[in-house]
Amino acid sequence: MISLPRLLKFTAAATAGLTLCAHAAEAPKHIDVKQLSRNVEDVVVPLPNEIFGALNKLGGVNWREYVRNDKGNNFTERPRIALLLGSVIADGFIAVQAEDAPTVKDIGQRVLNLAKGIGVGNSITPHAKAITEAADKRNWVNVRQELDRTQNSVQKAMNEVGDQKLSQLVSLGGWLRGTEVLTAVVNQRFSEDGAELLRQPDLLSYFHTRLQGMPEYNMKLLTDIQDALVQVKPMIDVGQGKISPDSVKRINEITTRLDGEIVTR
Amino acid sequence: MRDLLRPSGAVLAVAIALALSARASVDDAQSFALQAAEPYVKEGFQVREDYWGGDLGAGEKKAVRQQLFKGNEYWFWLGTEVEKAKVSVHIYDSEGKLIEQPDSWQKGHFAAAHIVPKATGSYFIIVTVEDSPEERTHWALVYGFR
Repeated sequence: MISLPRLLKFTAAATAGLTLCAHAAEAPKHIDVKQLSRNVEDVVVPLPNEIFGALNKLGGVNWREYVRNDKGNNFTERPRIALLLGSVIADGFIAVQAEDAPTVKDIGQRVLNLAKGIGVGNSITPHAKAITEAADKRNWVNVRQELDRTQNSVQKAMNEVGDQKLSQLVSLGGWLRGTEVLTAVVNQRFSEDGAELLRQPDLLSYFHTRLQGMPEYNMKLLTDIQDALVQVKPMIDVGQGKISPDSVKRINEITTRLDGEIVTR
Repeated sequence: MRDLLRPSGAVLAVAIALALSARASVDDAQSFALQAAEPYVKEGFQVREDYWGGDLGAGEKKAVRQQLFKGNEYWFWLGTEVEKAKVSVHIYDSEGKLIEQPDSWQKGHFAAAHIVPKATGSYFIIVTVEDSPEERTHWALVYGFR
């Protein structure tokens, strides 16, 4: 039989043990990142709403101003459809920020049609349905999650058939539209914290490298995007410096032009 | 010609089977990472569908570079299906300085790291299989933000 003091002592020791286990293992306070650089996994491209969320915390944004519900053109070139798909999914996140249920539902259908255009419609049908249902209930958390799932399912389906490059173009299309809106918001009411959200040089390098690996897509649009990434890089890769209002304005002009090329013929 | 094709067909079939089984295990690891993330969803974290995964030997590390935004709060959750394995995850800034919050944790085959970035930019997330009875241990890392 165990006495009460012994039991208490045992319980205290066990609790302390569990607490220690639950703490993070002792990690080095500093590592040499140069050594790591050769062995780094692929990036996960942030979702537009990851940036919009941070932007929202800097002050009220009138998201309705940025909602776009253009039925748009139908393209036949798969790279264009992929870019447009990313851009339209980004529009979905903007419509969610604006809590605009009809637009969210339209975008769900548009995404489905575009996905069919590149042969991955089947994987999107349940998500399009879920987007509509969640928008009807104004359950914005679920809509956001479904938009992420939609993008993920499209990209998974593309990867499964060996179309990783198209999958990367979906991310790029979303990133361009997200950056267009981010710069439009910051340009309208400049703040250093807002401009700092553009500090994404590694992501730019990532997209640039991926585009360089797509010589088979001989399209002016992709060349224009590559050139634009080169132009934008020095404006956001400012080290300890600040991103200027002029740079924000210039990046907005560039991304607006590119997004225009993506959505129109 | 047919005879020549036969062995390569078999090799292909084995390669596909191996690739599928490796994928299935990373998917298993992902379900454990998502299990670690579950309580945080109730706290308003949106967990990304995309994730990183692979396999490591005991004592091996893998680095993941991720763009984070000032103003958001992030958790990275690591999991493996090897229940007797011990894994850890830590976050460093672009200069290599450990930057995670003190409530980051490690419990056997689950681990999580928490960061409220003071600056927008690239961060390194270091995944380690500290110990494992398996030669190679599948891992998956998911993240969420709010």
